[in-house]
Amino acid sequence: MNNYFTQLGNSTKQRARGMGQYGIFIAFVVICLILSLITPKFLTVSNWTIIVTQVSINALLAFGVTFVIITGGIDLSLGSMVAVTGIVASLLAHPDDYPVIVPVLAGLLAGVFMGAFNGTIITKSKVPPFIVTLGTMTIGRGLALILSKGRPVSNLSDSFNFIGGGSIFGVPFPIIVLIVAFVVCSVVLKKTILGRYIYAVGGNEQAAKASGIRVNKVKMAVYTICGGLAALAGILLTSRITTGQPNAGASFELDAIAAAIIGGTSTSGGTGTMTGTLIGALLIGVISNGLDLLNVTSYYQQVVMGAIIIGAVVLDGWNQSAAQR
Amino acid sequence: MKRIYLGLIALATLAGCNQTSEKESGEKKMVIGVTMLSMQNEFIVNVSDEMDKKAQELGIELITVDAERSALKQIEQVESFIAQKVDAIVMNPCEVEASSPAVTKALAAKIPIINVNSETSTKPSAFVGSDDVESGRIAMKFIAEKLSGKGNVVMMHGYMGQAAQIKREQGAREILKQYPDLKLIAHQTGEWDRAKSMSLMENWIQSYGKDINAVFAQNDEMGMGAVNALTAAGMKDKVIVVSIDAIPDALQAVKKGTLDATVFQNAQQQGAKAIETAVKLYKGEPVEKEVLIPFQLVTKDNVATFIK
Repeated sequence: MNNYFTQLGNSTKQRARGMGQYGIFIAFVVICLILSLITPKFLTVSNWTIIVTQVSINALLAFGVTFVIITGGIDLSLGSMVAVTGIVASLLAHPDDYPVIVPVLAGLLAGVFMGAFNGTIITKSKVPPFIVTLGTMTIGRGLALILSKGRPVSNLSDSFNFIGGGSIFGVPFPIIVLIVAFVVCSVVLKKTILGRYIYAVGGNEQAAKASGIRVNKVKMAVYTICGGLAALAGILLTSRITTGQPNAGASFELDAIAAAIIGGTSTSGGTGTMTGTLIGALLIGVISNGLDLLNVTSYYQQVVMGAIIIGAVVLDGWNQSAAQR
Repeated sequence: MKRIYLGLIALATLAGCNQTSEKESGEKKMVIGVTMLSMQNEFIVNVSDEMDKKAQELGIELITVDAERSALKQIEQVESFIAQKVDAIVMNPCEVEASSPAVTKALAAKIPIINVNSETSTKPSAFVGSDDVESGRIAMKFIAEKLSGKGNVVMMHGYMGQAAQIKREQGAREILKQYPDLKLIAHQTGEWDRAKSMSLMENWIQSYGKDINAVFAQNDEMGMGAVNALTAAGMKDKVIVVSIDAIPDALQAVKKGTLDATVFQNAQQQGAKAIETAVKLYKGEPVEKEVLIPFQLVTKDNVATFIK
């Protein structure tokens, strides 16, 4: 039985490595090349520092949802979790209130709790994740409004504002958070038993069950991790804009899911990598930055962004079928 | 069939009871139905709070509902007010065109309807609010004077196509025309959102850097985003930032000197005047068709009078 599982795990892992990322990586490099040819302001250290800082929030959400999508699920409540955790943190982050660790931990706890709530409902009720998280998306938005009484929470302490706005040795703190989260998530997905279980559940849930994996526990884990990462994103965002806003994070889930899918995570489950997702998030950030640098009107920006997203995935599709042949 | 009859009789009796109890309690309390664009918007929440205060003062009952930015929902809410036979309706319209049917319906039911804060294309019984074009003019005028009519400006739009965005842009452009040496080098939507505008400003700093002399953001949230980005880049001292709304955060920033100016839109007056006008219309007293509340420029010199 164990042997069977190892085979299953390996085969999905190979699939993930063989097909994905390269196509999207090429597309990413090509777009960066084009942008650096059009404008000399694109390929500079300062511009890239800004791009990666801007991308960090979406990337954290995308890492979380990558775990979920690999198991064959989805999480639409990401944006609302960003709002709730941001409000919880900001309410405790006024100057002279508590040391900065308190709002951060409270925010993280709120996210973990909401993620676990998603996981519990999904595993216990057997209602599709799409519907459960659609519900918690609305619940979360309501909670954020209730907690904040519909108003932004401002006047946050300097130490709290450092999280999203400060730098260590010239590296913005959000970038450091992003790198640490990326390494941890990659290790969890690639090197741990939980990671193998996650691929197995998404690859074939029945087979995973038959080989003795406690599928519900795995699902519970991914939604909880996803909630924790959403909390991290919520705290970063709140600190970056130095205010907690109940309507923050609206439709963030779409960008995060887009990053994961662009990065080669299949919505049918079983495949995906953190590296792919990171490149997906960077691609979205680069396009938005590049179009701003070129002063493309916002009407066109949306069209271009959509077209490039589809284009990138099509390219990836060709690459995949070529690899399979 | 029998059941339906029974139900109807029960309803009629209930309605009858209701009427008698109203008569017994002496003079009937005036009821105003209020539908607001979005209770997730700080300024709108403030207007709504001011209406509550005024209503309490005058002993009026308010039924306040949130249209959540949906014109369709707003129309349904007004229909339900009409069915409840409220004495007057105050609407904070979601959209110029799409919220218009609500006005038509209320007028057809002979219930006075007052638009507060923004307009509909169908004229209501009265309008209480401010002229957004004026706020754009005030903001850009401040920039023009600060720069002595010469320099490069960037503009952050709200959601493209919304009434406030269109009008604030219009006002700003009117002033820009008067100063040929004042150049609009870039403009882009920040979607009224602080995080979005902060990223936008960071990107502009990359592409235009020291060429930017002033930022006009169509609301304070975006203005604060621009301030954050400019401060982080160490450029705030050299760039003027002006925005509109005078939310508490922006007032604090003006006091600190990070935001150069904001334009105060008077939520208190808008809310109070809307209720007062509704009462007058209900009593059949004459009213002004358009009650315009003026905007005021807030700078470091006069900010103290605006901070509560």
